[in-house]
Amino acid sequence: MRASGAGPNPLVRFASQIWGSIFRHGLPSTDKVAARTALTNFFLHIHPVRVKKSAIRVSYTLCLGGLSFFLFILLTISGLFLMFYYIPSVDQAYQNIKDLQFVETFGLVTRNLHRWAAHGMVITVWLHMARVFYQGSYKPPREFNWAIGSILLVVTLLLSFSGYLLPWDQLAVWAITVGTNMAKYAPIGGPYTRYVMLGGRTVGQGALIRFYVLHVVALPLIGFILMVIHFWRVRKDGFTGGL
Amino acid sequence: MATVVGNGGGSGDRPGARGRATVPGRQGVTGPELATPPLVVRRREEEETVVTFPALVYREFLAASAITAFLMLVSTWVNAPLLQRANTAITPNPAKAPWYFLGLQELLERFPPVMAGVAFPTFVIVGMMLTPYIDKNPSRRPQDRKVAIVLMTIYIMLAVAFVVIGVFFRGTAFTWQWDRLLGHPGVHPGT
Repeated sequence: MRASGAGPNPLVRFASQIWGSIFRHGLPSTDKVAARTALTNFFLHIHPVRVKKSAIRVSYTLCLGGLSFFLFILLTISGLFLMFYYIPSVDQAYQNIKDLQFVETFGLVTRNLHRWAAHGMVITVWLHMARVFYQGSYKPPREFNWAIGSILLVVTLLLSFSGYLLPWDQLAVWAITVGTNMAKYAPIGGPYTRYVMLGGRTVGQGALIRFYVLHVVALPLIGFILMVIHFWRVRKDGFTGGL
Repeated sequence: MATVVGNGGGSGDRPGARGRATVPGRQGVTGPELATPPLVVRRREEEETVVTFPALVYREFLAASAITAFLMLVSTWVNAPLLQRANTAITPNPAKAPWYFLGLQELLERFPPVMAGVAFPTFVIVGMMLTPYIDKNPSRRPQDRKVAIVLMTIYIMLAVAFVVIGVFFRGTAFTWQWDRLLGHPGVHPGT
């Protein structure tokens, strides 16, 4: 309508104004644009603008830290879907899982994905730990970040362990029985520790609701906060780079 | 040409001066940076850098896509296990912990419970967290870190071996059985 203006069509100009207000800089055509895009984008600002070429070589990082984080996101999303169908009750939990497997659309593949991604995350976090150790990347000034990473490994195991009980089948209940039996052996207050973990002397409704709350709220929250600190410190300390 | 020289001089002045100042004093400088040996410091100055977007973001996207595709394929073909409804009256034999805790269960078979269930895991977790404070060796080069690498390798091999034993070689009553791996999982000659 207006004679002056960049766009040929007011609708296109309106759309490009909206697009431009969301994404302030375009695709990385030059290094300068790329730097600005990374600086002004909330999600990209987890990364520095420039990195050493050797630090991001796939043969150096094996993508293990990034994959662990990505699997955490994948598990959060697939877990959210599963939560719509799952009721943490000893009377209903098993039937809910059966329904997911045989009735709900994409229920089976979502549960499978959640299960295999969980095993995958245990493996990638473990390998990430080994990778960082062998390359000596835990050395000063990164000592404390290694300690946070160690806690994150434990949180990952606890996340997986707490989720193991939820299907309420023979595998789940007896694995948790065997697993929590180890807590009994603590020299001070061992049986009491197990009682607190299970909310009773055997694996029952008390244990199910405890493990459920830990699995869907407490542990993911603790893990997420630790991950934020972990990544922030990686960002501040810089990548160690190739050997 | 003039503008190029002006730009170069203007922006490169301070870093250049700093670089020149550090060169003679490189051996003697002290501070957090000096924990690393001179070789690494020299390398760091020469390091070539790239913009993270797209160089790193692109790789992350590819890795994420690849693992998603892989997991979707696995999830399409392999179902997550689901046995009968939980029944506290029927104990399966063997009753096993999840695979990543089978190493611990294996230790419980071999050592007194206080050692295997409490002392060892505590030692491993606390020891792991304290590793950077115990290992004072500033070098990251493998040839300077033989002890650390050997110790870690032994630990990893033991952990993997115990998990493999727990998954594949432990049968009824958690006793050693070859047939779980070599076929006939239903036949237990010992029982």
